[in-house]
Amino acid sequence: MTDLQTAPEAVKPRRRINFGFDKYSGLYVWAALILVFALWIPDLFLQVSTFKQVLTFQAIAAIVALGLIIPVAAGAFDLTVAGTLTVSVCWTAWALINHHGVVVAAGGALLLGILVGLLNALVVVKLKVDSFIGTLGMSSILIAVAYMITNSSQIVLSTEGYAPFFEFAREEIFGLPRSVYYAAAIAVFFWWILEYTPGGRYLYAVGGNPVASRLAGVRVGRIVMLSFVASGLTSAFAGIVYLSTIGTATPDSGSGYLLPAFSAVFLGATQIRPGRVNVLGTLVAIFLLATGVTGLQLAGAPSYVTELFNGAALIIAVALAARTARRRG
Amino acid sequence: MTPALSVRNATKIFGAQVALDDVSIEVQPGEVRALVGQNGCGKSTLIKILAGFHAPEPGTAAAVGGTELSFEDPVASEVAGLRFVHQDLGLVGNLDAVDNMALGQGYITNPAKTIKWRKERAHAREALAALGYDINVKIPVAGLQMSERTAVAIARAMSDRGSPVRMLILDEPTANLPNAEAQRLYQLVRRVADTGVAVLFVSHHFDEVFEMADSVTVLRDGKHIVTRPVEGLSEEELIELVVGRKLEVHDRMNADEREHDQEVLTVSAVAGGSVSDLGLTLHRGEVVGVAGITGSGREAVASLVFGGMERSGEITVGGKTLPPNRPDVSIERGIALVPAERHANASLLEQTLRENITLVDPGRHMTLGILRRRPERADVRIWLDKLSVKPAGQTEYTMTQLSGGNQQKVIVARWLRQEPDVLILDEPTQGVDVGAKADIHRLIDEAAAQGTGVLVCSTDHEELVRVCDRVVIMRRGRVAEILRGGQISADSITAATIGRDSDESAA
Repeated sequence: MTDLQTAPEAVKPRRRINFGFDKYSGLYVWAALILVFALWIPDLFLQVSTFKQVLTFQAIAAIVALGLIIPVAAGAFDLTVAGTLTVSVCWTAWALINHHGVVVAAGGALLLGILVGLLNALVVVKLKVDSFIGTLGMSSILIAVAYMITNSSQIVLSTEGYAPFFEFAREEIFGLPRSVYYAAAIAVFFWWILEYTPGGRYLYAVGGNPVASRLAGVRVGRIVMLSFVASGLTSAFAGIVYLSTIGTATPDSGSGYLLPAFSAVFLGATQIRPGRVNVLGTLVAIFLLATGVTGLQLAGAPSYVTELFNGAALIIAVALAARTARRRG
Repeated sequence: MTPALSVRNATKIFGAQVALDDVSIEVQPGEVRALVGQNGCGKSTLIKILAGFHAPEPGTAAAVGGTELSFEDPVASEVAGLRFVHQDLGLVGNLDAVDNMALGQGYITNPAKTIKWRKERAHAREALAALGYDINVKIPVAGLQMSERTAVAIARAMSDRGSPVRMLILDEPTANLPNAEAQRLYQLVRRVADTGVAVLFVSHHFDEVFEMADSVTVLRDGKHIVTRPVEGLSEEELIELVVGRKLEVHDRMNADEREHDQEVLTVSAVAGGSVSDLGLTLHRGEVVGVAGITGSGREAVASLVFGGMERSGEITVGGKTLPPNRPDVSIERGIALVPAERHANASLLEQTLRENITLVDPGRHMTLGILRRRPERADVRIWLDKLSVKPAGQTEYTMTQLSGGNQQKVIVARWLRQEPDVLILDEPTQGVDVGAKADIHRLIDEAAAQGTGVLVCSTDHEELVRVCDRVVIMRRGRVAEILRGGQISADSITAATIGRDSDESAA
């Protein structure tokens, strides 16, 4: 962690010469982490399988976090991302074991994602409930829905019976499962939206100042609605990938994805384009955290190190970013 | 006599920019000193150094009432007896005057830490009475008049916090006040000074300087230009000192010389907000002003006509009807609004000038599904140059890096780039320095010369005289009078805005 702390010290505000420590500190820390573990536990850490494991394990979390970027860019919290994932997982599993076919199962899950997005928008835009509160309530409702679908138990898909469905996320292309490619494709898509389309400008504008955006002709309500639909749809897709990867649906399948997604998005907002949530920063955050956690676990750290490391990294990174922002201002 | 404040050799450097260059000033007890200069001249920096917000360069020294001030300690200035009231006043709108006054200094409590409300209220009333205000201290301050709120903020600043108050420092104290309320504030400041407290205020409003100040200090480009008594100083001289050059006198084209054949905006029977009945027409190339005291409806006209709020009545632009509450449709039909209070209503503060300017139609430079940054930057740079936004050509600066006047120019650029048929400006030069103000007025002239119909809503009557062909006077939510050509003067506008109701039938 010493690198994190010394990074801003290297910034020379007067001459504005630096090595990108303000924007790219995450990449430096990431490289430092890899170096540390490579020296510390070379025979465990420096394996192709380790890198594959990091990428595979993070694919689902990455998809959820990428979807979350969109409403957060527009200034709205979407706490339903994990709940939507859970409902999508449960619905897909239920539809599959009841022989409704993959199209109904997956299509239905995506429609559910869109529906959740629209309901969130109804609550936040039309009923004018604060997004944090509105989506908190919605996520509670979604957990109830998941219990209803699964009848409060778990649904296990047998490996033999659902082989084609499992291929959807597990089939390997160039040694990596498809889920990694899905995450990459979604990242490219949202990166394009946010950086290179008017839609991205509108999202950041609404997030920056909704009043000014409205007076400049931006359809603020519509932008917020579409952002919720985007995150709902993405989370639902993440649910399908989850089920295809794990093979088991329970009403708390998604519970572990909410905090990491928010951590990644906020930590990502300190990177690449400091001060605004962005796709590349979020990806750096996810893989930086995963690298650190994986390395520590390989070195024999207890399992709770994941949460400890994630939480500490988030707080330190955001605090340092706030400090650099103050210096710049 | 020991000066209330003496600052010696104040210097502050930000990056490569010298914000304050070896400035020394002295203010005597009981003296009211105005601190003037264009945005970016260093006056805010000076105040922020005194407040302990910025650390000055070594060599800077300051003494309050003879005691040296330590810049290390942020509370040192308060202990020494400096008190600050910022432009936004720092009041909590939904709390009453008693709570607001207690915010900084704590409540009076009995030994069981229960608040002694009766005593608190009496204390608040006394403090306000000392300033010449009798205010209901039990209602939320958001319900008070602007000058009353200012009084609450000043009373809070002036109240004893274990050290004698030696100097009150105000930031644009009457910037948003209608004339009558500003007069009350002048008296208040005079009362404060009469108790032997020195007053230093930052100002862009020369009325304020001439009405309130004993002496004035002018800063330009971080340097101390002059400190002199206000007596014997003319407004022209002061402007020259501030700007550093003679301002060209703009001869407004005579209203009769302009061709006002074609109606570009018609407003009839519009009601909404504080407006009960608004009717007016605007012709191509015409500049129409809207004046009125706060509460007269003036403050709602811009937003109503633009379509930013709910309303009834009919508005057409170039023959096309505007729906209420649909800014996007209004913009598409050729109307543009530079709203009042740019920070809240117009700026994306943390975003680049480029993003701020192209916000209305970011898709203009899109090819093959991708926004092209290079042509967008080139486009934006043209507009920044056209409006002489400083620093020049910095499309990737964020709004926060610009001074107020330059921020306002960026917002004006956003709309001029749309080439609207009708341009509405609401308080276009609020909190803007003299140079930028002249620039904005010139832009209004140019827009009109190119055929745009311009509607300017303003409490700055000199501004209306400078730019308008006609001035619509609002009273009690209605158009009460329309001044034309030679009838337009700052005094006639002021007189008309506070005109008596009996005039209304005649209008």
